[in-house]
Amino acid sequence: MTPSALGKTTPPGRDLKRRFLWLGLAMVSGLLVLSLQLYRLQIIRGEEYAAKSVANFVKEVRLRADRGVIKDARGTILVDSRPSFDAFITPAFCTDCSKQVIPRLALLLGWDEEQRAKVEEQIRLGRRNAPFQAVPVRIDLTRDELDLINARRDILDGVEVVAVPHRNYRTETVLSHVLGYMNEITQEELERLNADGARYALGDYIGRRGLERYFEPRLRGVDGVRKEVVNARGQKIEELNEKLGENSVIPSEAGSNVVLSIDMRLQEEAERVFPGVAGAVVAIDVNTGFIRALVSRPGFDPNLLTGRVTPAQMAALTKDPLSPMINRVAAEHYSPGSTFKVVTQLAAFKSGLFRPETVINCPGGYKLGSRTWRCHKESGHGAMDARHALQYSCNTWFWKVADQIGLEPIAEMGKALGLGSPTGIGVLGEVPGIMPSPEYHDRLSPGGYTRGMALNSAVGQGDDNVTPLQLALVYAAIANGGTLYKPQLVQRIENLDGQVIDAFDPQVVRTLEINPAHRKSIIDALVAVVNDAGGTAYRQRLKDIVVAGKTGTAQVAALGAVRLKTHQMAYWERDHAWFASFAPADKPELAVVVLNEHGGHGGTDAAPTAMAVIQKYFDLKKQDETSPPPRSNQPYVLTLPPAPKLEDVMLTRGVPAAGIPNAAQH
Amino acid sequence: MQLSIERRMVPHVPWALIFCILAICGLGVWNLASAARPPHASVWTSQALYMGIGLGVALMVCLVDYRWIQRMTVPIYVINILALIALRFIGHKAKGAESWFVLGPVRVQPAEFMKIGVILMLAKIYHDDFRPNQESYGLMRLWKPVLAVAVPAGLVLVQPDLGTAMMILLSSLTVILFGKVRWYLVAVMVAGILAAGVIIWNDYVREAPEPRFTVLKHHLKKHQSQRISGWLDPEADLRGSGYHAAQSKIAVGSGGMSGKGWREGTQTGLSFLPEQHTDFIFSVWAEEHGFLFCLVLLVLYGGLFSLALAVGFNARDRFGAFVAVGITAMIFWQVFENIGMVIGLLPVTGITLPLMSYGGSSIMSMMVSVGLLVNISMRRHMF
Repeated sequence: MTPSALGKTTPPGRDLKRRFLWLGLAMVSGLLVLSLQLYRLQIIRGEEYAAKSVANFVKEVRLRADRGVIKDARGTILVDSRPSFDAFITPAFCTDCSKQVIPRLALLLGWDEEQRAKVEEQIRLGRRNAPFQAVPVRIDLTRDELDLINARRDILDGVEVVAVPHRNYRTETVLSHVLGYMNEITQEELERLNADGARYALGDYIGRRGLERYFEPRLRGVDGVRKEVVNARGQKIEELNEKLGENSVIPSEAGSNVVLSIDMRLQEEAERVFPGVAGAVVAIDVNTGFIRALVSRPGFDPNLLTGRVTPAQMAALTKDPLSPMINRVAAEHYSPGSTFKVVTQLAAFKSGLFRPETVINCPGGYKLGSRTWRCHKESGHGAMDARHALQYSCNTWFWKVADQIGLEPIAEMGKALGLGSPTGIGVLGEVPGIMPSPEYHDRLSPGGYTRGMALNSAVGQGDDNVTPLQLALVYAAIANGGTLYKPQLVQRIENLDGQVIDAFDPQVVRTLEINPAHRKSIIDALVAVVNDAGGTAYRQRLKDIVVAGKTGTAQVAALGAVRLKTHQMAYWERDHAWFASFAPADKPELAVVVLNEHGGHGGTDAAPTAMAVIQKYFDLKKQDETSPPPRSNQPYVLTLPPAPKLEDVMLTRGVPAAGIPNAAQH
Repeated sequence: MQLSIERRMVPHVPWALIFCILAICGLGVWNLASAARPPHASVWTSQALYMGIGLGVALMVCLVDYRWIQRMTVPIYVINILALIALRFIGHKAKGAESWFVLGPVRVQPAEFMKIGVILMLAKIYHDDFRPNQESYGLMRLWKPVLAVAVPAGLVLVQPDLGTAMMILLSSLTVILFGKVRWYLVAVMVAGILAAGVIIWNDYVREAPEPRFTVLKHHLKKHQSQRISGWLDPEADLRGSGYHAAQSKIAVGSGGMSGKGWREGTQTGLSFLPEQHTDFIFSVWAEEHGFLFCLVLLVLYGGLFSLALAVGFNARDRFGAFVAVGITAMIFWQVFENIGMVIGLLPVTGITLPLMSYGGSSIMSMMVSVGLLVNISMRRHMF
């Protein structure tokens, strides 16, 4: 069509004028019908429906799943739940909350102004976000408080008291770093976890450390729901509840139980005999990597942290100079001292430049360039082969090795044995430790790598840093012929009825080729340390078990001109005492590492603990062979004396620690 | 195909229509922000995002000359049909119906787009089949439009998505009636409606001892049957299908004259209605804002319908007029059915409220429709 035709044409819609009118009318009348019905519902019957909407709320009550318990290897319950009466406020049912209910509650429970404001804020937030979700306002009411609230229930709209399972850590400070604790979930965690399909609510507790954190999804179980028809004050309406039918309840599923590889009897022995105020003991099965006992001292009380810890108590915990929250077994690293020498020796043998028979003369020191490195025996050890060098911990032998082969092979051997990287235990937070290499020093040390660094590292000083757990794995690998296991704390996961859901098998991280002759030389040396007269741990040897071990004393402070007797030194300047061992030497089963922080000497301050633990382990083994297994699910009862405190140690240092049984009295 | 806008189109941009649509969109997002409590808290932001994308799509659609769309009608229709068939094989099952394609994070509901395809196809048929001397359609002449409607309606029905199939049928029926049919066909239809009324009365309302004679009831699935009885008497079965209808009526009724206030709705807060941010969105609006604002919303929809019909009235050709009528009918029937079900006038079907309910596919198909309306309006004097 041309533009000239424009005037002649009318839009075809105009032909359909009447139909458009009819259609428009039909639609308008449709909308009118809707408006009429709306008028009927909202205006004529509005009040009736408003009353109905107040009269019937369907409230969803959560049925909390029972959290799984944590048991030791023999089924003794270490962590379970006890009922605690908690006070909740449901914002939607709390009329006049900030003016009436909260002040009354504050009066009954003796809240101060600050606490009251905090609760008011919580309720205000709850009213906006989820008005029908009960907000916990007071955890663990005392009997008296419970009675008070129950008596005044009629004036406390929207307040209810519910028995909530509360975590009960029966071992108190013992194993606290392993078990962990729980506290309230944060808003961000809530959003993140619920986005992944979990069903947490504000005010829920969540595992924070150790097993409680690591196994949170397994321990937690699945909450259920019960629907209840309630009125505007939150009271149940029975006749309407029946109408909800059987779909109104979704039962909860209990969480799984976690069974540790730790035997509480061995753990108790380790706790009892460990004299240090701070330090670590770890006993590990050399053929599986399962941990049998684990002490990290000082500990904290998870019962305190899982509940109403006051700000003052929290401050005391975080400001404590001994840092009780740090797990010294895996989350803190230390200079390994002479216990590291086994690694250097393995590297020396592997390089091919040194053999077990290689003899090096120790004149009392080693000259590198213009500086002479002094061995700890100033007169010199004389001619030393590898075995005796390790037995007497002759630094000169190791310095010579380091000078000749350099740091690289030592670092390689250390890394192959798991040093410098996390063990992968998972349950516990870990630091990787440091296994310095030339590349490491080039990157981090001013001036780059120099020979002296190799000498330092060869004897476990310098930048070498290991966690007690890593050291235990090194000794376990030597004991079992070269297999590095992943350490594990949990044997299996059971359901409520004790049926195994998940059993954990030993996991090999890697296997090292160790020449049997080399291994024999090292084990002979370690046996001699404990069992030959003149060995550094000779006085602690056991009568009927051949223990192979190595003492270590790691310097923490630069030594002054005058050497002090250890008991004269202030606590913080004393050396760390190490003892790393395994037994029996001919067919090793258990590796034990003891670190006594600022303890003094490895031979006197760490070895006795390891010996007692080893003795107890084999005693228990003998005992269990003859006696039937105990009934499981017995609650654990703590009978241990309290751990030594810093003040005690400072005062009593030098007095021999009383009551170390099983150490041979020679 | 060219994307362009010319100076002479500008005076014919239907600003009033666009205002109605944007106003409803805005109210919709605001309402969703109240309706969506945890765990759906982020719903309103995604809705706003969909709307933003949708406006872009609408702009695209109105830039293409609709004569080009008219030429492409058959391919568009066929692609939609193919998508529905493909759904049988690779669709995603949710709530017992295969209605979704899952493309990564996006879920597409092809039935929503089928509605537009059917309307375009009908408009094309009526445009091509115009005989100036013989306006009314007899039974024989109706085979083309009926076939064009029956195929997609059948495909949607077997998904099974009764609601959307109903919407396709109702809007097509409106277009067919608009295209003028012979009086005897109208008579047959009226008779059919009467018969349906009698059947429902016989099957559901009449009190009679069991086993009683029923015409249709025993052919329906149980949940479908329950919806009808729930609609007729919602309070009879509080925990079953009537539960929705009853709680929805309580929500609307309790809103009263001025409502309970934004985010203050107790029925909404309790999540009585599992579909409250999709199908039952109007109950949230009614509860929280009351009768007056419900009227405001209805007036906005009314304005939308009248202005959309005006677009058809002024359209350049029969194709444009029929597309406008079809789209208007489609929106109208959805609004009518959705609000009717929320306030207890009609049985509960899974129909969303256009521009208010949450849902990407629904927003997109609405926006494409709006784009078409604007397109037709802008080009009314172009030759």
